[in-house]
Amino acid sequence: MSDHTRFEELVLPHLNAAYNLARWLTRDVNDAEDVVQDACMRALKYVGSLNGDGARAWFLTIVRHAFYDWCKRNRPAEIAQDDGTAIDMAVDPAAVDPEQAFLRNAESKTLAEAVAALPVAYREVLILRELEELSYKEIARIADIPIGTVMSRLARARSLLQRSPLLHAVH
Amino acid sequence: MNCKQAEALVTAYTDGEGDALRNYSIKKHLLGCSGCTARQHSILALRARIRTEVPYFVASPALHARVRATMGAVRASIPPQSRPTGDRYRWLSGGVLAGCAASVFAWMLGTTVLAWRANEDFVVAAVAAHVRATLGDHLIEVASSDRHTVKPWLSARLDYSPPVQDLANEGFMLIGGRLDYLERHPVATLVYRYRKHTIDVFVRPEASRAPMSALRTVRGFNAARATGPSMDWLAVSDAEPAVLSAFVQRLAREDIPQ
Repeated sequence: MSDHTRFEELVLPHLNAAYNLARWLTRDVNDAEDVVQDACMRALKYVGSLNGDGARAWFLTIVRHAFYDWCKRNRPAEIAQDDGTAIDMAVDPAAVDPEQAFLRNAESKTLAEAVAALPVAYREVLILRELEELSYKEIARIADIPIGTVMSRLARARSLLQRSPLLHAVH
Repeated sequence: MNCKQAEALVTAYTDGEGDALRNYSIKKHLLGCSGCTARQHSILALRARIRTEVPYFVASPALHARVRATMGAVRASIPPQSRPTGDRYRWLSGGVLAGCAASVFAWMLGTTVLAWRANEDFVVAAVAAHVRATLGDHLIEVASSDRHTVKPWLSARLDYSPPVQDLANEGFMLIGGRLDYLERHPVATLVYRYRKHTIDVFVRPEASRAPMSALRTVRGFNAARATGPSMDWLAVSDAEPAVLSAFVQRLAREDIPQ
């Protein structure tokens, strides 16, 4: 099977999942499309090493990498350093306290806006869990973090959303 | 198990993680602990809200076209590879055949299990939608006992047109309809009143004939399902299981003139 056929059969069915993740990471229609396009080129290059199962998680891993590379080029401020610790910088309370920033910024009017306002490291695990419905193990592989970190980031994402004033305003 | 030990486990359990033995002890703990039960419910409530209110973005046709065009351009720039032919691979074909048969079998088994799980998830999502709606969020978006009002309202918002039937003379009064968003798809919900009970009926174009118990209880609500000639019917209510089951089967006959 040629790489192109493999790509069409294994990867292309997950284009929506890729776009959804890219869209929630970039929070922009056009940027998300650029990231997905880049991810597709990379996926085509490496599709030979993909064995059938887990194609969605494999592709989402590439999308996530493509996003962080895109971010370094276009929004360097969003991820502070480019040495791979960038994501953990985002959750390092000593650097900036994103939780406090999130709670102070009570401008989110809808739950979707509140999710979009979450620090990116929390946002990605929440999207992968609640919209993509992936297992902890798959999320750990995609985000390249231990399962324990998946659990703690998920717990913090949820607690931020639950503490957000808008969730109490509606009911 | 105390609450401190249970905390992370309850979360993992609610996310569908963890092994059978652990899940058993967590279930036991939840039965006797209102604090942990509340925590579990708050995760489920947040999940239900995320799945209804937070959009799942779908790639536009333009992006599909763009990706395909780029792939086509890349393909054009690569010379076609010659395929290995010749007799030395022929001995492989028996193994390949057996492998194919095994894959097909595994695929069939897998899809059956997956379809069954998807159906179970759909029932759970439907019950969550029913609970949200009856809690006062929005039970009805189009209030009418006239099926000629409810049906066009729904078909204007969906890519299918659910049969809307009036069964008032059998005790099931149509009171309106609404749109739910379940498992990433918009779904038509018909709302009926039966005595003091509200019955939500979720109607989808016949999705699958995968095995699913026709009657289930989820968090104290009864869910009855039937498949009709064109649609898949799922009724959720706190009404009697027997009543609900008869009602949904009546609807699924879809034999009332539209």
